[in-house]
Amino acid sequence: MLRKRLITVLTFNDGVLFRTKLFNPDYRYTHNFIDAWSIDEIVALDVTRPGQGDKENFYKMVKHLASKCFVPLAAGGGVRTVDDFKKLLSIGADKVIINTEAVRRPELITEAANLFGAQCVVVSIDAKKHEDGSYEVFTEFGTKPTGMKPEEWAKKAQKLGAGEIMITSIERDGFLEGYDNQLNKMVSEAVDIPVLVCGGAGKWQDFVDGFEKGKASAVCTTNIYHFTETSIKSAKSYMKNAGINVRL
Amino acid sequence: MIVIINYGLGNLFSVLGAVEKLGFKAKISSKIKDMEKADKLILPGVGAFSDGMKNLHELGLVEPLTKLVVENKKPILGICLGCQLMAKESDEFGHNQGLGWIDGSVIRLETENKELRVPHVGWDELLQRKKSTLFEGIPEDALFYYTHSFHIKCKNVNDILGECDYGGLFTAAFCHNNIYGTQFHPEKSQLHGLNLLRNFLEKR
Repeated sequence: MLRKRLITVLTFNDGVLFRTKLFNPDYRYTHNFIDAWSIDEIVALDVTRPGQGDKENFYKMVKHLASKCFVPLAAGGGVRTVDDFKKLLSIGADKVIINTEAVRRPELITEAANLFGAQCVVVSIDAKKHEDGSYEVFTEFGTKPTGMKPEEWAKKAQKLGAGEIMITSIERDGFLEGYDNQLNKMVSEAVDIPVLVCGGAGKWQDFVDGFEKGKASAVCTTNIYHFTETSIKSAKSYMKNAGINVRL
Repeated sequence: MIVIINYGLGNLFSVLGAVEKLGFKAKISSKIKDMEKADKLILPGVGAFSDGMKNLHELGLVEPLTKLVVENKKPILGICLGCQLMAKESDEFGHNQGLGWIDGSVIRLETENKELRVPHVGWDELLQRKKSTLFEGIPEDALFYYTHSFHIKCKNVNDILGECDYGGLFTAAFCHNNIYGTQFHPEKSQLHGLNLLRNFLEKR
Protein backbone atom coordinates (compact mmCIF):
# COMPACT_ATOMS: atom_id res chain seq x y z
CA MET A 1 0.00 0.00 0.00
CA LEU A 2 1.22 3.45 -0.91
CA ARG A 3 2.73 5.22 2.08
CA LYS A 4 1.88 8.75 3.14
CA ARG A 5 4.87 10.98 2.49
CA LEU A 6 6.80 13.40 4.67
CA ILE A 7 8.61 15.96 2.54
CA THR A 8 11.32 18.40 3.56
CA VAL A 9 11.20 21.71 1.74
CA LEU A 10 14.55 23.49 1.50
CA THR A 11 14.44 27.14 0.48
CA PHE A 12 17.51 28.72 -1.07
CA ASN A 13 18.38 32.36 -1.48
CA ASP A 14 21.08 32.75 -4.12
CA GLY A 15 22.27 29.21 -3.47
CA VAL A 16 22.34 29.50 0.31
CA LEU A 17 19.90 27.60 2.45
CA PHE A 18 17.47 30.15 3.75
CA ARG A 19 17.16 28.65 7.20
CA THR A 20 20.14 28.91 9.43
CA LYS A 21 21.56 27.17 12.41
CA LEU A 22 22.50 29.63 15.15
CA PHE A 23 22.21 32.31 12.46
CA ASN A 24 24.94 30.77 10.33
CA PRO A 25 23.82 29.54 6.93
CA ASP A 26 25.12 26.00 6.90
CA TYR A 27 23.87 24.27 3.80
CA ARG A 28 26.38 21.39 3.95
CA TYR A 29 24.71 20.38 7.15
CA THR A 30 21.52 19.76 5.22
CA HIS A 31 22.60 17.65 2.35
CA ASN A 32 24.93 15.52 4.33
CA PHE A 33 22.33 14.42 6.76
CA ILE A 34 19.23 14.06 4.69
CA ASP A 35 19.93 10.79 2.99
CA ALA A 36 20.75 8.98 6.22
CA TRP A 37 17.30 9.69 7.54
CA SER A 38 13.99 8.35 6.54
CA ILE A 39 12.82 11.48 4.76
CA ASP A 40 10.65 10.46 1.81
CA GLU A 41 11.32 13.28 -0.59
CA ILE A 42 13.06 16.64 -0.88
CA VAL A 43 11.78 19.85 -2.40
CA ALA A 44 14.39 22.49 -3.26
CA LEU A 45 12.97 25.94 -3.90
CA ASP A 46 14.85 28.93 -5.20
CA VAL A 47 13.31 31.92 -3.45
CA THR A 48 15.85 34.43 -4.74
CA ARG A 49 14.03 37.61 -5.71
CA PRO A 50 14.49 38.63 -9.36
CA GLY A 51 17.82 40.35 -9.94
CA GLN A 52 19.07 39.47 -6.44
CA GLY A 53 21.33 36.58 -7.31
CA ASP A 54 22.87 34.22 -9.80
CA LYS A 55 20.71 31.29 -10.89
CA GLU A 56 23.83 29.18 -11.25
CA ASN A 57 24.19 29.15 -7.46
CA PHE A 58 20.84 27.44 -7.12
CA TYR A 59 21.67 24.96 -9.88
CA LYS A 60 24.87 24.07 -8.04
CA MET A 61 22.85 23.28 -4.93
CA VAL A 62 20.38 21.12 -6.84
CA LYS A 63 23.23 19.23 -8.42
CA HIS A 64 24.85 18.72 -5.07
CA LEU A 65 21.65 17.53 -3.44
CA ALA A 66 21.01 15.13 -6.30
CA SER A 67 24.44 13.58 -6.02
CA LYS A 68 24.16 13.06 -2.26
CA CYS A 69 20.54 12.17 -1.65
CA PHE A 70 19.09 9.01 -3.07
CA VAL A 71 15.50 10.09 -2.59
CA PRO A 72 13.25 11.94 -5.02
CA LEU A 73 14.08 15.56 -5.55
CA ALA A 74 11.68 18.21 -6.79
CA ALA A 75 13.05 21.62 -7.68
CA GLY A 76 11.50 24.93 -8.57
CA GLY A 77 11.40 28.66 -8.12
CA GLY A 78 11.46 31.03 -11.07
CA VAL A 79 10.74 28.32 -13.64
CA ARG A 80 9.42 29.99 -16.78
CA THR A 81 10.03 27.74 -19.76
CA VAL A 82 10.39 24.17 -20.92
CA ASP A 83 14.13 24.86 -21.10
CA ASP A 84 14.12 25.64 -17.37
CA PHE A 85 12.53 22.21 -16.85
CA LYS A 86 15.22 20.62 -19.01
CA LYS A 87 17.98 22.34 -17.06
CA LEU A 88 16.67 21.21 -13.66
CA LEU A 89 16.05 17.66 -14.84
CA SER A 90 19.49 17.46 -16.40
CA ILE A 91 21.17 18.27 -13.09
CA GLY A 92 19.28 15.69 -11.06
CA ALA A 93 15.79 16.95 -10.26
CA ASP A 94 13.06 14.36 -10.73
CA LYS A 95 10.21 16.82 -10.77
CA VAL A 96 9.84 20.50 -11.41
CA ILE A 97 7.64 22.88 -9.46
CA ILE A 98 5.93 25.79 -11.18
CA ASN A 99 3.81 28.52 -9.67
CA THR A 100 3.63 32.08 -11.03
CA GLU A 101 4.36 31.18 -14.64
CA ALA A 102 1.69 28.47 -14.62
CA VAL A 103 -0.88 31.16 -13.77
CA ARG A 104 0.50 33.57 -16.33
CA ARG A 105 0.80 30.99 -19.09
CA PRO A 106 -1.14 27.80 -18.25
CA GLU A 107 0.00 26.16 -21.52
CA LEU A 108 3.38 25.62 -19.87
CA ILE A 109 1.79 22.83 -17.79
CA THR A 110 0.68 21.01 -20.92
CA GLU A 111 3.93 21.59 -22.80
CA ALA A 112 5.96 20.20 -19.91
CA ALA A 113 3.62 17.27 -19.28
CA ASN A 114 3.76 16.26 -22.93
CA LEU A 115 7.55 16.38 -22.92
CA PHE A 116 8.44 15.03 -19.51
CA GLY A 117 5.33 13.20 -18.38
CA ALA A 118 2.67 14.41 -15.95
CA GLN A 119 4.53 12.94 -12.96
CA CYS A 120 7.23 15.54 -13.55
CA VAL A 121 5.01 18.60 -13.27
CA VAL A 122 4.12 19.88 -9.82
CA VAL A 123 1.87 22.93 -9.78
CA SER A 124 2.38 24.94 -6.62
CA ILE A 125 -0.47 27.13 -5.46
CA ASP A 126 -0.11 29.86 -2.83
CA ALA A 127 -3.44 30.80 -1.29
CA LYS A 128 -4.52 33.56 1.05
CA LYS A 129 -7.62 33.54 3.20
CA HIS A 130 -9.69 36.69 3.08
CA GLU A 131 -11.57 38.12 6.04
CA ASP A 132 -14.87 36.82 4.69
CA GLY A 133 -13.41 33.29 4.77
CA SER A 134 -12.92 32.92 1.03
CA TYR A 135 -9.60 31.91 -0.49
CA GLU A 136 -7.69 33.43 -3.37
CA VAL A 137 -4.62 32.34 -5.33
CA PHE A 138 -1.66 34.72 -5.15
CA THR A 139 1.47 34.65 -7.31
CA GLU A 140 4.87 36.34 -7.34
CA PHE A 141 5.92 35.32 -3.84
CA GLY A 142 2.42 35.75 -2.54
CA THR A 143 2.15 39.40 -3.54
CA LYS A 144 -0.11 39.40 -6.58
CA PRO A 145 -3.80 38.53 -6.35
CA THR A 146 -5.16 36.54 -9.27
CA GLY A 147 -8.90 36.46 -8.61
CA MET A 148 -8.82 32.67 -8.85
CA LYS A 149 -10.11 30.21 -6.31
CA PRO A 150 -7.46 27.66 -5.27
CA GLU A 151 -9.67 24.60 -5.78
CA GLU A 152 -10.69 25.78 -9.25
CA TRP A 153 -7.15 26.54 -10.27
CA ALA A 154 -6.05 23.10 -8.97
CA LYS A 155 -8.76 21.44 -11.04
CA LYS A 156 -7.73 23.35 -14.13
CA ALA A 157 -4.05 22.55 -13.56
CA GLN A 158 -4.89 18.85 -13.36
CA LYS A 159 -6.83 19.09 -16.59
CA LEU A 160 -3.87 20.77 -18.28
CA GLY A 161 -1.58 17.91 -17.27
CA ALA A 162 -0.21 18.56 -13.77
CA GLY A 163 0.93 15.45 -11.91
CA GLU A 164 0.78 16.85 -8.41
CA ILE A 165 -0.53 19.93 -6.63
CA MET A 166 1.38 21.63 -3.85
CA ILE A 167 -0.83 23.90 -1.78
CA THR A 168 0.61 26.49 0.58
CA SER A 169 -1.27 28.68 2.97
CA ILE A 170 0.40 32.07 2.83
CA GLU A 171 -0.61 33.25 6.28
CA ARG A 172 0.22 29.97 8.00
CA ASP A 173 3.74 29.88 6.57
CA GLY A 174 6.34 30.00 9.28
CA PHE A 175 3.90 30.23 12.17
CA LEU A 176 4.19 26.62 13.32
CA GLU A 177 0.52 26.60 14.29
CA GLY A 178 -0.66 23.86 11.99
CA TYR A 179 -1.81 23.62 8.39
CA ASP A 180 -4.92 25.28 7.02
CA ASN A 181 -6.76 22.01 6.61
CA GLN A 182 -9.95 23.62 5.42
CA LEU A 183 -7.99 24.89 2.42
CA ASN A 184 -6.11 21.61 2.02
CA LYS A 185 -9.25 19.49 2.09
CA MET A 186 -11.03 21.73 -0.39
CA VAL A 187 -8.16 21.49 -2.88
CA SER A 188 -7.57 17.78 -2.29
CA GLU A 189 -11.21 16.93 -2.90
CA ALA A 190 -11.28 18.98 -6.09
CA VAL A 191 -8.62 16.85 -7.84
CA ASP A 192 -7.67 13.21 -8.46
CA ILE A 193 -3.91 13.76 -8.45
CA PRO A 194 -1.73 13.73 -5.30
CA VAL A 195 -1.79 16.87 -3.15
CA LEU A 196 1.16 18.09 -1.09
CA VAL A 197 0.29 20.42 1.77
CA CYS A 198 2.56 23.15 3.03
CA GLY A 199 2.73 25.98 5.47
CA GLY A 200 2.38 25.89 9.21
CA ALA A 201 3.50 22.53 10.57
CA GLY A 202 5.07 22.97 13.98
CA LYS A 203 4.50 19.68 15.75
CA TRP A 204 4.06 16.03 14.83
CA GLN A 205 0.28 16.13 15.35
CA ASP A 206 0.09 18.77 12.59
CA PHE A 207 1.32 16.14 10.12
CA VAL A 208 -1.36 13.71 11.29
CA ASP A 209 -4.01 16.41 10.91
CA GLY A 210 -2.70 17.25 7.42
CA PHE A 211 -3.45 13.69 6.34
CA GLU A 212 -6.67 13.15 8.27
CA LYS A 213 -8.32 16.56 8.15
CA GLY A 214 -6.53 18.02 5.14
CA LYS A 215 -6.75 14.81 3.03
CA ALA A 216 -3.11 15.27 1.99
CA SER A 217 -1.06 12.75 0.01
CA ALA A 218 2.07 14.27 1.48
CA VAL A 219 2.87 16.75 4.23
CA CYS A 220 5.66 19.28 3.84
CA THR A 221 7.75 21.18 6.30
CA THR A 222 10.26 23.92 5.76
CA ASN A 223 11.43 24.17 9.31
CA ILE A 224 14.51 22.10 8.93
CA TYR A 225 16.07 23.21 12.16
CA HIS A 226 13.55 20.94 13.82
CA PHE A 227 15.29 18.09 12.20
CA THR A 228 18.08 16.67 14.16
CA GLU A 229 19.28 13.10 13.77
CA THR A 230 16.21 11.53 15.36
CA SER A 231 13.41 13.91 14.50
CA ILE A 232 12.18 12.43 11.19
CA LYS A 233 12.08 9.02 12.81
CA SER A 234 10.22 10.31 15.81
CA ALA A 235 7.79 12.25 13.58
CA LYS A 236 7.10 9.08 11.66
CA SER A 237 6.71 6.93 14.79
CA TYR A 238 4.23 9.47 16.06
CA MET A 239 2.27 9.32 12.79
CA LYS A 240 2.38 5.51 12.76
CA ASN A 241 0.96 5.42 16.28
CA ALA A 242 -1.78 7.77 15.14
CA GLY A 243 -2.72 5.27 12.44
CA ILE A 244 -1.06 6.94 9.43
CA ASN A 245 0.58 4.51 7.01
CA VAL A 246 4.12 5.87 6.73
CA ARG A 247 7.48 4.45 5.72
CA LEU A 248 9.58 4.02 8.85
CA MET B 1 32.42 0.56 -17.39
CA ILE B 2 28.69 1.19 -17.03
CA VAL B 3 27.08 3.30 -19.72
CA ILE B 4 24.00 5.33 -18.88
CA ILE B 5 22.21 5.93 -22.14
CA ASN B 6 21.53 9.56 -22.86
CA TYR B 7 18.56 10.10 -25.14
CA GLY B 8 17.81 13.59 -23.97
CA LEU B 9 15.08 12.76 -21.49
CA GLY B 10 16.29 10.62 -18.62
CA ASN B 11 17.18 11.61 -15.09
CA LEU B 12 20.78 10.88 -15.98
CA PHE B 13 22.46 12.69 -13.18
CA SER B 14 20.69 10.85 -10.35
CA VAL B 15 21.43 7.49 -11.94
CA LEU B 16 25.07 8.45 -12.45
CA GLY B 17 25.30 9.56 -8.81
CA ALA B 18 23.90 6.25 -7.56
CA VAL B 19 26.16 4.12 -9.77
CA GLU B 20 29.22 6.09 -8.70
CA LYS B 21 28.19 5.92 -5.06
CA LEU B 22 28.27 2.13 -5.44
CA GLY B 23 31.86 2.35 -6.61
CA PHE B 24 31.41 1.71 -10.32
CA LYS B 25 32.87 3.68 -13.16
CA ALA B 26 30.11 5.11 -15.26
CA LYS B 27 29.65 7.30 -18.28
CA ILE B 28 26.69 9.13 -19.72
CA SER B 29 26.67 8.67 -23.49
CA SER B 30 24.57 8.76 -26.65
CA LYS B 31 27.20 6.95 -28.71
CA ILE B 32 26.70 3.36 -29.70
CA LYS B 33 30.50 2.85 -29.65
CA ASP B 34 30.55 3.52 -25.90
CA MET B 35 27.61 1.17 -25.40
CA GLU B 36 29.36 -1.60 -27.30
CA LYS B 37 32.38 -1.28 -25.01
CA ALA B 38 30.30 -1.11 -21.82
CA ASP B 39 29.97 -4.02 -19.40
CA LYS B 40 26.42 -3.04 -18.68
CA LEU B 41 23.88 -0.51 -19.79
CA ILE B 42 21.25 1.50 -17.99
CA LEU B 43 18.32 3.05 -19.83
CA PRO B 44 16.95 5.62 -17.39
CA GLY B 45 13.86 7.66 -17.85
CA VAL B 46 11.69 10.55 -16.95
CA GLY B 47 9.45 11.66 -19.71
CA ALA B 48 6.87 10.77 -22.26
CA PHE B 49 7.02 7.56 -24.31
CA SER B 50 6.60 9.13 -27.75
CA ASP B 51 9.41 11.64 -27.17
CA GLY B 52 11.66 8.92 -25.80
CA MET B 53 11.25 6.82 -28.93
CA LYS B 54 11.54 9.84 -31.20
CA ASN B 55 14.84 10.81 -29.58
CA LEU B 56 16.21 7.26 -29.76
CA HIS B 57 15.35 7.20 -33.46
CA GLU B 58 16.91 10.59 -34.09
CA LEU B 59 20.10 9.47 -32.38
CA GLY B 60 20.14 6.43 -34.65
CA LEU B 61 20.19 4.17 -31.58
CA VAL B 62 17.15 1.96 -32.08
CA GLU B 63 18.65 -0.58 -34.48
CA PRO B 64 22.23 -0.87 -33.17
CA LEU B 65 21.06 -0.89 -29.54
CA THR B 66 18.51 -3.60 -30.31
CA LYS B 67 21.26 -5.68 -31.91
CA LEU B 68 23.53 -5.13 -28.91
CA VAL B 69 20.86 -6.07 -26.38
CA VAL B 70 18.83 -8.74 -28.16
CA GLU B 71 21.53 -10.48 -30.23
CA ASN B 72 24.70 -9.82 -28.25
CA LYS B 73 22.88 -10.08 -24.94
CA LYS B 74 24.48 -7.07 -23.29
CA PRO B 75 22.93 -6.77 -19.79
CA ILE B 76 20.67 -3.75 -19.54
CA LEU B 77 18.45 -2.25 -16.87
CA GLY B 78 15.58 0.01 -17.84
CA ILE B 79 14.22 2.34 -15.18
CA CYS B 80 10.70 3.84 -15.23
CA LEU B 81 10.22 5.25 -18.75
CA GLY B 82 13.36 3.31 -19.72
CA CYS B 83 11.67 0.02 -18.85
CA GLN B 84 8.49 1.06 -20.64
CA LEU B 85 10.39 1.84 -23.84
CA MET B 86 11.49 -1.81 -23.92
CA ALA B 87 7.91 -2.89 -24.60
CA LYS B 88 6.45 -3.40 -28.05
CA GLU B 89 4.00 -0.53 -27.88
CA SER B 90 2.41 2.17 -25.76
CA ASP B 91 -0.88 3.99 -25.53
CA GLU B 92 0.55 7.14 -23.91
CA PHE B 93 -0.54 10.17 -25.98
CA GLY B 94 -1.64 8.07 -28.95
CA HIS B 95 -0.32 4.75 -30.16
CA ASN B 96 3.45 4.38 -30.36
CA GLN B 97 5.89 1.61 -31.21
CA GLY B 98 8.49 0.78 -28.57
CA LEU B 99 11.84 -0.99 -28.78
CA GLY B 100 10.02 -4.31 -28.74
CA TRP B 101 12.49 -6.23 -26.57
CA ILE B 102 9.79 -7.30 -24.11
CA ASP B 103 6.56 -8.84 -25.23
CA GLY B 104 4.04 -6.48 -23.75
CA SER B 105 2.47 -3.07 -23.98
CA VAL B 106 2.44 0.06 -21.89
CA ILE B 107 -0.96 1.03 -20.56
CA ARG B 108 -2.43 3.65 -18.29
CA LEU B 109 -2.66 2.91 -14.59
CA GLU B 110 -6.35 2.38 -13.90
CA THR B 111 -7.72 2.26 -10.39
CA GLU B 112 -11.33 1.69 -9.46
CA ASN B 113 -10.77 3.13 -6.03
CA LYS B 114 -11.31 6.91 -6.01
CA GLU B 115 -9.00 7.21 -3.02
CA LEU B 116 -6.08 6.05 -5.15
CA ARG B 117 -4.77 8.96 -7.13
CA VAL B 118 -2.95 8.83 -10.44
CA PRO B 119 -0.01 9.40 -10.94
CA HIS B 120 1.02 6.77 -8.42
CA VAL B 121 3.62 8.74 -6.48
CA GLY B 122 5.52 7.63 -3.43
CA TRP B 123 6.93 4.68 -1.55
CA ASP B 124 5.24 1.38 -2.16
CA GLU B 125 5.88 -2.35 -2.00
CA LEU B 126 7.62 -4.62 -4.45
CA LEU B 127 5.94 -8.01 -4.25
CA GLN B 128 8.68 -10.44 -5.23
CA ARG B 129 7.18 -13.09 -7.50
CA LYS B 130 10.35 -14.87 -8.59
CA LYS B 131 13.80 -15.50 -7.26
CA SER B 132 16.22 -13.17 -8.96
CA THR B 133 19.78 -11.97 -8.50
CA LEU B 134 18.22 -8.51 -8.55
CA PHE B 135 16.46 -9.24 -5.25
CA GLU B 136 19.37 -10.75 -3.33
CA GLY B 137 19.43 -9.30 0.17
CA ILE B 138 16.28 -7.26 -0.46
CA PRO B 139 13.69 -7.90 2.26
CA GLU B 140 10.18 -8.88 1.17
CA ASP B 141 8.74 -5.76 2.78
CA ALA B 142 11.24 -3.30 1.26
CA LEU B 143 9.67 -0.12 -0.11
CA PHE B 144 10.63 1.56 -3.36
CA TYR B 145 9.86 4.92 -4.89
CA TYR B 146 7.37 5.01 -7.74
CA THR B 147 6.23 7.95 -9.82
CA HIS B 148 4.24 7.10 -12.93
CA SER B 149 0.85 7.13 -14.65
CA PHE B 150 1.63 4.25 -17.04
CA HIS B 151 3.06 0.77 -16.60
CA ILE B 152 4.18 -2.17 -18.68
CA LYS B 153 1.87 -5.16 -19.02
CA CYS B 154 3.98 -8.23 -19.78
CA LYS B 155 2.40 -10.81 -22.06
CA ASN B 156 4.76 -13.48 -20.86
CA VAL B 157 4.02 -14.11 -17.16
CA ASN B 158 7.46 -15.70 -16.82
CA ASP B 159 9.06 -12.32 -17.42
CA ILE B 160 7.46 -10.83 -14.30
CA LEU B 161 9.86 -10.61 -11.36
CA GLY B 162 7.82 -8.40 -9.09
CA GLU B 163 4.48 -6.64 -8.85
CA CYS B 164 2.94 -3.76 -7.01
CA ASP B 165 -0.67 -3.45 -5.91
CA TYR B 166 -2.25 -0.08 -6.60
CA GLY B 167 -5.95 -0.70 -7.11
CA GLY B 168 -4.86 -3.84 -8.95
CA LEU B 169 -1.55 -5.56 -9.61
CA PHE B 170 0.90 -4.21 -12.15
CA THR B 171 4.40 -5.28 -13.18
CA ALA B 172 6.96 -3.49 -11.05
CA ALA B 173 10.03 -5.45 -12.17
CA PHE B 174 10.70 -7.80 -15.04
CA CYS B 175 13.51 -9.82 -16.55
CA HIS B 176 13.81 -11.44 -19.95
CA ASN B 177 17.24 -13.05 -20.38
CA ASN B 178 19.70 -10.14 -20.08
CA ILE B 179 17.01 -7.47 -20.10
CA TYR B 180 15.84 -6.06 -16.77
CA GLY B 181 13.34 -3.36 -16.00
CA THR B 182 11.94 -1.65 -12.93
CA GLN B 183 8.95 0.67 -12.87
CA PHE B 184 10.17 2.13 -9.56
CA HIS B 185 13.36 4.18 -9.23
CA PRO B 186 16.11 2.17 -7.51
CA GLU B 187 18.36 5.24 -7.69
CA LYS B 188 15.80 7.12 -5.59
CA SER B 189 14.92 4.38 -3.13
CA GLN B 190 17.70 4.81 -0.62
CA LEU B 191 19.33 1.67 0.80
CA HIS B 192 17.19 -1.04 -0.80
CA GLY B 193 17.24 0.75 -4.12
CA LEU B 194 21.00 1.04 -4.09
CA ASN B 195 21.29 -2.64 -3.11
CA LEU B 196 19.08 -3.67 -6.00
CA LEU B 197 21.15 -1.55 -8.35
CA ARG B 198 24.33 -3.09 -6.96
CA ASN B 199 22.91 -6.57 -7.59
CA PHE B 200 22.41 -5.70 -11.24
CA LEU B 201 25.84 -4.11 -11.59
CA GLU B 202 27.76 -6.75 -9.65
CA LYS B 203 26.03 -10.05 -9.98
CA ARG B 204 24.20 -10.07 -13.20
